[in-house]
Amino acid sequence: MTKKIDAFQRMLLIIIVVYSVFVTIKNPGFFQIQTVFDIVKTSSTTMIVAMGLLVVMISGGIDVSFMAIALFGSYTSLYIMIQTGINHLAFAFAVSMGIGALLGLVNAVLISWLRLPPFIITLGTQNLFHGIMTTFISDKSFGSGVLPECLHQFGQGTLFKIATDNGSTGLTVSLIPVLAAGLATYFILRRTMVGRGVVAIGNDEESARRAGFNPFRIRLFVYAYSGALAGMMGIVYAAQVNALYPNKMVGDELMVVAAVVIGGTKITGGQGKIFGAVLGVIITYLLNSTLIMIGLSSSWNNLFVGAILVIAVAITSYQERVKNRKHLIFTE
Amino acid sequence: MEKVKNFLKQDIDLGILVGITCTVLLVAAAAFGSSMYSSRNIQSMAFQIPEFGFLALAMMLSNMVGGIDLSIIANANTTAIFTAYVLNGTWAFGTQGGARIILAIFAALCTSIVFGLLNGLIIAKTSAPSLVATLGTMTLIQGVGMAITGGASVGDIDPLFSSFGKEIFLGLPVIFWLFLIVALVLGFVLSLTGFGRKLYLYGGNPVAARFSGFHNEKMSVLVFMLTAILSGIAGLIILSRVNSAKVGYGDSYLLQTMIVCVIGGIDPNGGKGKVGGVVIAIILMQVMSSAFTIMSLSPYTKKLIWGIMLILVLGLNHVIAIQSKRSTLKKSMKALASATK
Repeated sequence: MTKKIDAFQRMLLIIIVVYSVFVTIKNPGFFQIQTVFDIVKTSSTTMIVAMGLLVVMISGGIDVSFMAIALFGSYTSLYIMIQTGINHLAFAFAVSMGIGALLGLVNAVLISWLRLPPFIITLGTQNLFHGIMTTFISDKSFGSGVLPECLHQFGQGTLFKIATDNGSTGLTVSLIPVLAAGLATYFILRRTMVGRGVVAIGNDEESARRAGFNPFRIRLFVYAYSGALAGMMGIVYAAQVNALYPNKMVGDELMVVAAVVIGGTKITGGQGKIFGAVLGVIITYLLNSTLIMIGLSSSWNNLFVGAILVIAVAITSYQERVKNRKHLIFTE
Repeated sequence: MEKVKNFLKQDIDLGILVGITCTVLLVAAAAFGSSMYSSRNIQSMAFQIPEFGFLALAMMLSNMVGGIDLSIIANANTTAIFTAYVLNGTWAFGTQGGARIILAIFAALCTSIVFGLLNGLIIAKTSAPSLVATLGTMTLIQGVGMAITGGASVGDIDPLFSSFGKEIFLGLPVIFWLFLIVALVLGFVLSLTGFGRKLYLYGGNPVAARFSGFHNEKMSVLVFMLTAILSGIAGLIILSRVNSAKVGYGDSYLLQTMIVCVIGGIDPNGGKGKVGGVVIAIILMQVMSSAFTIMSLSPYTKKLIWGIMLILVLGLNHVIAIQSKRSTLKKSMKALASATK
């Protein structure tokens, strides 16, 4: 843990800097504090779930149901608030995260019980959760007028404001949940026994078991944590959009997976860094929001993200393969 | 009777599948009667099966080697886009009529093979897990399609080509016959040729396969190329049925192909499964989806049902596997006891 930044992350940083310089040369309007604040705001939701997904992927699993969980949690808690007239932000977060954790536990139990690729199981639960929510709770859309007032204030709130040429711009208050999620993840992964266990079962479940870890319990924690963060993200998302539709969010999971993988996280487990995931998310959002500035339409986005993802996957896997072959480990 | 019993014992999964399919067919007949089994509905089902069926076969192949190919739908759509550009004359290089169609099919074949080669090479040469590798190529291939079309649909294709998708031969659509033939050939290749046997062994245990002298890298490139060709054919069928191509068509097929594979007895960990099972599962799926359309269920309810189905089938498979393991253990213990007596 002494090395703060590894070679891969340095490369990502260089890509970000070089690209930013390139965009600035093409379009000087890019280089201002407003752009940074915008990217922080739009990427905040993805950042939160990326933290949860990172922990899941370090444990050797994958979760594609988190967006459905986010929708389930936020929709249910806001539905309760609208019905009962409760207007308290803490209530929204608590209920949403609680539901998220519960749904995460369902994922973990199914994965431990069936012993099948987590991707297939969470793809099933993604549809299951979304279907249960829309069929048994409600599938109405809520516009801006109906949502609780505290949510609206949270979505528009700023930490501080800076005066610029055209009015003033502020740093979004959504940064607080992002920082909370990041710090919690850092603390869990680096400073607790559970975190050690997550890395251990990601590297080798059998060895972890023999070293005294309980993979089932760790898996319960991992998926519940991812679910809780998803619930948190759902509320932040609803606050930013200031509306709630039963068909939003679900379907964007793979972009988050892509961002985390770009950050150097190994999908087979045991390796992954918070800073890398943050860089991965920043790269995808940077491309997303600046392609128009350099004269390309936003439909080029997938091409660049895909190319970066393919290269990142190829590099990380190839390094691993060379290392493994040296030790005569054949994992295919 | 004894024969049937033996057959069921031999392949318990397939037996259950056939049982379930018959039940669903009967229930559908009882519930919807003529609207389900009218010749019109059967024909419309036969029109819908091929595009989905080819994607399911592609998914099946990648599952058989213990991998997964997320890029099949992106591949089908982008191949369809390239082909549509040839067929509407943008990239036709001055060809007309039949020559243009041959050029278009050649272009489709080339595109899908290139995409498959990309998948296969990344997976074989860098040992990347197929899930992330194909996630990357999926985004990339989608990106290629998006960059070319800008998200718009490409239409105005040669009428000769689009009429092919609506042609009927012996009461069933030509594309359905095509699907049956390809499924038959694939089943034959997998169960009766050396390549098929290698594929099962490679899927079951790649490390053991490597040390038995298999060319693992060649195998995985071949499998992913075959997967890509099957999805390319799906793209051609979509193009000729819908008359246009665009990015994002049939995104919901991803879950459905996976359900079909799981129901059809494919083990997602690799090395198990038969084409026959998957074909039966595809028909089952189409009948159910037709029934949902007749009942006019909302897309959300459909999602719920597909989700429940996937989890339920996986759970059922798991319970059955444990039971059969236990009974084998008991039997062998008994045999051991009688032998030592």
